[in-house]
Amino acid sequence: MKHRVRERPLSLLIFFIVFCLLAFVVYPIVEVFFYPKANDFVSVFHNARYMRTALNSLMMLVLSTLSATFIGFIFAYTVTRTDVPGRKAFKFITLLPLFSPPFMVSFSYIMMFGRNGLITKGFLGLDVNIFGWHGLWLAQTIAFFPVAFLVMEGVLQSISPMLEYAGRNLGANGFTLFRTVTFPLARPGVAGAALLVAIQVLADFGNPIMISGGFSVLATEAWMRVEGWADIAGAAVLSIMLLVPSLVLFFVQRYWVGRKSYVTVTGKMAQVNIQKTGKVMKWVLFTVCAAVSLLVLLVYVGLIVGAFVNGWGYDWTFTTRYITEIATRSKELVHSLSYSAIAGFSSALFSMTAAFLVSRKKFPGRRFVDFTCMLPAALPGIFLGIGYSIGFTRPPVDLYGTATIIILSMIFWNISTGYQTGIGAFQQISPSFSEAASNLGAGSLRIFREIEIPLIKGPFFSSFIMSFIRAITTLSVIVFLSTSKNAVATFSIMNLVSDGFYGKAAALTCVLLVISFGTIGLAKLIMGKQVQFFKV
Amino acid sequence: MAQAHVIIREVSKCFGKTKVLDTISLEIEKGSFTTLLGPSGCGKTTLLRTIAGFYDVEQGEIFIGEKKVNDVPSHLRNAVMVFQDYALFPHMNIRENITYGLRIRKMPQDEIEKKLETTAGYLDIKNLLDRTPGEISGGQQQRVALARALVMEPEVLLLDEPLSNLDAKLRVSIRAELRQLQQRLKITTIYVTHDQAEALAMSDTIAIMKGGKIMQVGSPSDVYYRPDNAFVASFVGTVNFIDGTVRSVSDEGVEVETGGTTITVRERQPAGKPAAHPPLPGEKITLSIRPESIRIVEHPAPAAAFRDENVFRGTIKDYIFEGSSIRYWGEALGKELLIDVFNPVENALHTGDVWFRIDPERIHVIPQSIT
Repeated sequence: MKHRVRERPLSLLIFFIVFCLLAFVVYPIVEVFFYPKANDFVSVFHNARYMRTALNSLMMLVLSTLSATFIGFIFAYTVTRTDVPGRKAFKFITLLPLFSPPFMVSFSYIMMFGRNGLITKGFLGLDVNIFGWHGLWLAQTIAFFPVAFLVMEGVLQSISPMLEYAGRNLGANGFTLFRTVTFPLARPGVAGAALLVAIQVLADFGNPIMISGGFSVLATEAWMRVEGWADIAGAAVLSIMLLVPSLVLFFVQRYWVGRKSYVTVTGKMAQVNIQKTGKVMKWVLFTVCAAVSLLVLLVYVGLIVGAFVNGWGYDWTFTTRYITEIATRSKELVHSLSYSAIAGFSSALFSMTAAFLVSRKKFPGRRFVDFTCMLPAALPGIFLGIGYSIGFTRPPVDLYGTATIIILSMIFWNISTGYQTGIGAFQQISPSFSEAASNLGAGSLRIFREIEIPLIKGPFFSSFIMSFIRAITTLSVIVFLSTSKNAVATFSIMNLVSDGFYGKAAALTCVLLVISFGTIGLAKLIMGKQVQFFKV
Repeated sequence: MAQAHVIIREVSKCFGKTKVLDTISLEIEKGSFTTLLGPSGCGKTTLLRTIAGFYDVEQGEIFIGEKKVNDVPSHLRNAVMVFQDYALFPHMNIRENITYGLRIRKMPQDEIEKKLETTAGYLDIKNLLDRTPGEISGGQQQRVALARALVMEPEVLLLDEPLSNLDAKLRVSIRAELRQLQQRLKITTIYVTHDQAEALAMSDTIAIMKGGKIMQVGSPSDVYYRPDNAFVASFVGTVNFIDGTVRSVSDEGVEVETGGTTITVRERQPAGKPAAHPPLPGEKITLSIRPESIRIVEHPAPAAAFRDENVFRGTIKDYIFEGSSIRYWGEALGKELLIDVFNPVENALHTGDVWFRIDPERIHVIPQSIT
């Protein structure tokens, strides 16, 4: 039951939420569209560089999405449907990149497989140039296959094992069963996973800025326009070119694939009895998973080694000077921590409140709140960053170089995940609890405080942690908003890498990783099963 | 002479530390309808799935026909299963669902068509073939699931609570239909249910299970009238238990003493089936008395008519009206008794002090050494 709103404090709260969404989500988006002149849009078609960049983005979109989805599916199938040894380890390794800054993969691979690469040059004596589309392809595949894995693991798990039993009972075995039953049932999930990966690949800024060299994609080109030419209009046009396909993918994923899903929730889940996998198949799957897992682990090995050697590629002696330097004198790290903590908390609070209002109350603008809270999930970080930089760095609102602008962008870029978690949580909490409380005389806000909040503590905490980690690891959102005054760690890493200060960059990345993994570990320790990340 | 078609020999199985099947042995006749009946968690579904080949046989042996099937994969056992929630493939239409197994076997298209035609005819689902499972009702899904199994012409048909997702009315009508179809096709059928009424109505043989063990195997009337133990008696139908001691055994019947009163038992055994456990004098036993075997008499008739046996004074405490019968809660012999009166006369309820008469031929004796 949804109640029409009559109480005053509640109306104020709704007003506040709607105002924030208008000011910090809608307004920056609109600004990006209105900043360039009509001429800027028309000239895109005559600009060979823009067109080539767009084609590059498209090419990476296809390549990386295909490879990441494919590998994600192999992992998901191996983990849920086979008795391949090491499944738990594979799953664990797959989850690591999800808590790490995405550009870290590129950075580490430059150190491992580049011209001065530890493996390519150091161990194999090869002269390999990793910069370019191929390096980007590898990095994006490794960075984003975990997303595909996570979605498809859920999908495969929710396929009733009874259907596979039925197939086997009627004569389908091994690959036939996979071809006629398992895969067709997973297909909508695979499509959904591919679309999610595609959105991330398209929006990816960190990997291409580090590893793609002269091969520019829309996200990096937008940055170059501003950085090199101070051409904000051009950057805006490029980011719109990025936004449109992103939105299309997002809505296809949400409204079309979601509806085609075969996943049926039945009360009684039979005990899944994993069938013995064929010997050849087993070793093929094992080899693929082990190889990919190794590539994932190498990312971390590279970073750790990088943080502790004097000079990458020429002086392999041990040192702690980078780590010490970071730990004692990095204002970027302090910024990262404080901004992300504030943003993570505010974001979780904001999105839970919005989720509460949308799922429990009836008020004008409810659909607007629902839509706008989901919207940031479809926005490439670059796009939102440009939006904030156009919208909030000129009078009347000039936040140029302030902490506020970074924090605000982090808050509103992250509301979607929290909001979705919140909606899910409120769906599970029976409205009859609040109805009972209301029946006993409690007002709306009192119900929220005394009934709903205790019940959504877990989801709130999860979305706080998730927002915090996403904020502390993001680069794309803040890259347009950072100056020397408010720079955060990711921004500083980008600059250090491009200037060749690998040791310091690696040390800083390692510290970020420690913070991020430590937070997860701590959260799990304190809250146990109550925290759940990734409701994709 | 009927021959055993499926033989289960000392089969045991554990899930982790719990023993879900405990040295089960059972022979199933060719062409018969056998029901595995028991409360949830008794192992009946596990046994069925083990026969189907979804679970490995950890200990013991299973034969289908002459062949030991322990290591035969599910689809080569010729035992096809109908699942509780039907497990219809949501990505295929009804036609594709039914013909799935035949297509996997690479049967020629015209033959598939012919078989589909026949089976869909049997089950009256020809008009559904182009729809998808999501578009048809539960009862129709049930028929399709059955068709998908029958079209394979299995030697053994395995049914896992196939009626449990249907509403009460539909369940009763499909129950009859399923039984008739099975009789017509003469296909060996193993049926799993927790519903004792369903088991009694459909089966040739019922195997009652509890805690991974078989408690009794017999015909519906065997398990209803002559339960081997108190569990079977109370699981199948409703029952009154009265504990007592055997005083004497003679041609006149068995005299049982309970709380200072004597109850006479003259249970009739069907021809060729001697009592499983004939009572011995001095033995501690439990009498199992069905509610419909007790009659309520307002005033006892002359002694001659009743031969004065098994008539006890008591009171009626409460009742519920169930349409074709009324169930009374009464008290006699210092115990609470359930009494069913069928074909009750409207506005003629028994109340207060009455007499109960227990039919001596309808009392079953269970030795306490077994319970």
